[in-house]
Amino acid sequence: MRDATSDAGSQDWRAEIAERLTSLRLAPAEEADLADELSQHLEDRFRELRIRGMSDMEARRVVLEELDGEGSLASKLRDVVRRRGTAPAALGTVARGSLLGQLRQDARYAMRTMQRSPGFTAVVVLTLALGIGAATTIFSVVNGVLLTPLPYRDPQQLVVFYGTSPEKQLPEVSFPAGLFVAVREKSRAFTNMAAFEQPGFTMTGTGDPVRVDAATVSLDFFRVFGMAPLMGRTFVAGEDRPDNTSVSVISYGLWQRTFGGDPKILGRVIKLNGNPSTIVGVMPREFAMPNRTDVWLPMSLDPAVFNCWCLDMVGRMKPGITPDQATRDLIATVDAFALSRRDVFPESKPDDHAKIIVMPLVKRIAGDIRTPLLVLIVAVGVVLLIACANIANLLLARASVRNREMAVRCCLGASPRRIATQLLTESAMLAGTGAALGLAFAAVALRLLRRLPEGQIPRIDHVRVDPIVILFAVGVTVACALLFGLAPALRAARVDLQTNLKDGARGSSSGGARRVSNAFVVVQFALSLVLLAGSGLLLKSFQRLLSLDPGFRADNVLVARLQTPYPRYDSAQMVRSFYDRVLERVAAIPGVRAVGLTQRAPFTRGNPQENVIAEGKEPKPGEPVVVSNVRNITPGFFDAMGTPILKGRSFRASDGPEAPRVAIVDERFARHYWPNGEALGKRIGPQGDTSAARWRTIVGIVPNVRHASLGEDPSLQIYEPFAQQTTWTNYVIVRSTREPRSLVSAIRAQVAAVDPEIPLYEVRTMEEAVSRSLLTRRLTNGLLTAFATAAFLLAALGIYGVISIGVAGRMREFGVRIALGAKPGNVLQLVLQEGVWLAGAGIAVGLLGAIWVVRFLRSLLFGVSAFDVPTFVAATVVLALVAIVACLIPARRATRVAPAVVLRE
Amino acid sequence: MVQAMLDRELKKGSAELLILSLVEHEPRHGYELSKLIDSRSNGAIRFHVASLYPLLYRLEKRGWIEGRWVEKAGQRRRRYYRLTGEGRRVLAAQRRNWRQFVEAIARITGVQHA
Repeated sequence: MRDATSDAGSQDWRAEIAERLTSLRLAPAEEADLADELSQHLEDRFRELRIRGMSDMEARRVVLEELDGEGSLASKLRDVVRRRGTAPAALGTVARGSLLGQLRQDARYAMRTMQRSPGFTAVVVLTLALGIGAATTIFSVVNGVLLTPLPYRDPQQLVVFYGTSPEKQLPEVSFPAGLFVAVREKSRAFTNMAAFEQPGFTMTGTGDPVRVDAATVSLDFFRVFGMAPLMGRTFVAGEDRPDNTSVSVISYGLWQRTFGGDPKILGRVIKLNGNPSTIVGVMPREFAMPNRTDVWLPMSLDPAVFNCWCLDMVGRMKPGITPDQATRDLIATVDAFALSRRDVFPESKPDDHAKIIVMPLVKRIAGDIRTPLLVLIVAVGVVLLIACANIANLLLARASVRNREMAVRCCLGASPRRIATQLLTESAMLAGTGAALGLAFAAVALRLLRRLPEGQIPRIDHVRVDPIVILFAVGVTVACALLFGLAPALRAARVDLQTNLKDGARGSSSGGARRVSNAFVVVQFALSLVLLAGSGLLLKSFQRLLSLDPGFRADNVLVARLQTPYPRYDSAQMVRSFYDRVLERVAAIPGVRAVGLTQRAPFTRGNPQENVIAEGKEPKPGEPVVVSNVRNITPGFFDAMGTPILKGRSFRASDGPEAPRVAIVDERFARHYWPNGEALGKRIGPQGDTSAARWRTIVGIVPNVRHASLGEDPSLQIYEPFAQQTTWTNYVIVRSTREPRSLVSAIRAQVAAVDPEIPLYEVRTMEEAVSRSLLTRRLTNGLLTAFATAAFLLAALGIYGVISIGVAGRMREFGVRIALGAKPGNVLQLVLQEGVWLAGAGIAVGLLGAIWVVRFLRSLLFGVSAFDVPTFVAATVVLALVAIVACLIPARRATRVAPAVVLRE
Repeated sequence: MVQAMLDRELKKGSAELLILSLVEHEPRHGYELSKLIDSRSNGAIRFHVASLYPLLYRLEKRGWIEGRWVEKAGQRRRRYYRLTGEGRRVLAAQRRNWRQFVEAIARITGVQHA
């Protein structure tokens, strides 16, 4: 007799249950659970019956009767057990249920696979996160700056246009009012066009005097953009009188900042340069033309004015007109007008054509940042490609290790398609995780970008993670998943069962996989070379720029701007007296070593120019006059700037308004007119001036100063004494013996002591101005260098991986070779050869690619040819060395093979 | 004969109500449930393996009860079932229906509720 409570009994009951469940074909885990639970019940019942006094046999009979008395257990369980949700995600079983269910199963399995190899997962996910994050960041900037439409009606019709005169070294020429009025009347390509100028104004009557960015605009200006004011109105006919400041429209920003969003702002009177002006309108927040204008004033257009080429122009092209057609129309219109007005265009000839550039407004606003952005987005795309190739190789390598797993699954009934789908799901989950991290990374990076000084990236407020950016990130992620997941998935789908079951465990990879891996390495090296060469060229350009002598010393120099308001200061005498007193007081501040005045300081916008001729070198009729930059300065200017006097002397206090007129020129000017002779003592004067007082005698020669940017090609420069040529708006240049910023409040106080209504503005140190002018370049270089470094490190990892796997698979072969007498050197050479061949092929392809690609960098280069041989050589050498080092590690492993060990394995 | 009829009819209509009521206040395993039904119905209603467990799994699949393996020292593991939130709502509704049904039958047949 068996003991009723013995374990043996329970085993029996399990068997009874299991037998009745076979027809259900349950997954093993589920069957075990069911058998456990049901057999326990039978055992409990059996025990109870025994306790009641039944014999073993009797009890057993009753239990089995009860079990089968209600009909077949299997049939009753059939529709409930199958989807109890406890079934493991058993791959290899024939797909049951919906596609979604299958996907969920795949995802669960992928999750487990990812958890099983955390190192691999982390490397892949982080690589992708950085790649997708960087791509998304740069794309959001491209999207915000270049792709987001301007907030105006039909923005694609909006253009700016200007003349250009390369022979006079003038890239942009504004129009005089007379020409603009004629063009506006005759041109047929535009719905309407408007002119504007951007003077600055000092606003008072609202607390401290403040400097506001103002624009005087022709009546049509707001109509061109098709944007109505938020409140009030814009200008109406009759208000376009000369110097009419009596009405003004203000920006949303100024309304909020200065007037606290006062709803009763209309009709309020402010003072602009001391003149009362009534606010008649407020523009919506998104209206930002030109730039960050705060106040708009009406402009009068006098058709008789041809001496001030100072109007900027914007127009709305008629629907269907392209910028090219608009250009041709404008050129024809200007040509016809010039020929009809020989009185103002004496040089015009019938076969001469005006040179006019029409540029879409959105492109104009994006400005200089367009090319760097495009270069960067391509670069980041290339890095992502390289990263994908690496991940694909990692997955291929892993796939060959997992060959056995795949083969087993195949044997269990999984279709090749099912296995490929599973692998693609794994790739998609890796990419998805990477993308999620990447988006977070992009959000942080964008926050940092917004901290850049204002004006570095135009329309930065449009740069954000919006639906288009998310769509881009999703697209990139899917593309990545396909790029790195497709090759391994397709290969896995062509599983060769026999071979894999036999030698899958050894981790060798088949010829097909190796060919794909090798191709990836070649592509990686090619792309890395392109990036390395490109970033090398940019870095070299930057080095050249930094090593340039700007013609002044930027350290310990403070620059600030002042304007004497007209008509409160209505004579040159009054203006000079104001500035003289300011300079005198500033010079007395402790810590000030030198102080000077100039109409335009280096690295500020604007460049006053004049047609200047030299006595005895007047151009023949029809010959173009070279334009020179003209700056008015006080005697202390060169000392304050740290610009040495090369020959002659600086200005003196004695070079006053009544004294003989004098000038200082730069080396370039001197060499242009007197290539072999002495410029000192020669006389120069403005073209067209025939008065006796026109000639200025050259008394000094200074080095070329880079005024607009370090990279500029300095144009001819003339300096005139401020006392003889007075301007109302000027920059004070202060050279100090201590930190220049510490002087600001003292200088402000001294200015206020002379005139409390004149603000000090645009305050900056010269070093800040220089470094700010380089910021975009520095940012581009930094990012591109980072991308290039990432690219070649990834390429190194890539070749290392491929060679390593190759070596691992050929261990037996090396063992045999060594056993047959091959020396370590021979084996080393064998492995290195393969790596060198791969890298060499990549580098060769890359060189061809780089030569084709660098042309797009040309506008970013400075002092370096796009085909700079040393840079290309350096890039090639760096990559080749990296390849050799990366291959040496597995190659040395191959030489240490112990034949006895490998051959026995 | 009576036993068989009662069994069939009751099981069809009210088996769910029985199970849900029994696990309302504490989790119970399958054998315990079958014992309780047997004893509380004075043997009038009996559930054996082939009727009880499919019913339990169906209720679990609907989310009305939840089974969990519990291991106690020195014993084999057992699966205990407890009422879920959803099950609690269903139980309340079924109780209401049952009461209305019984009252309606009583009004028609004159059989008094015990």
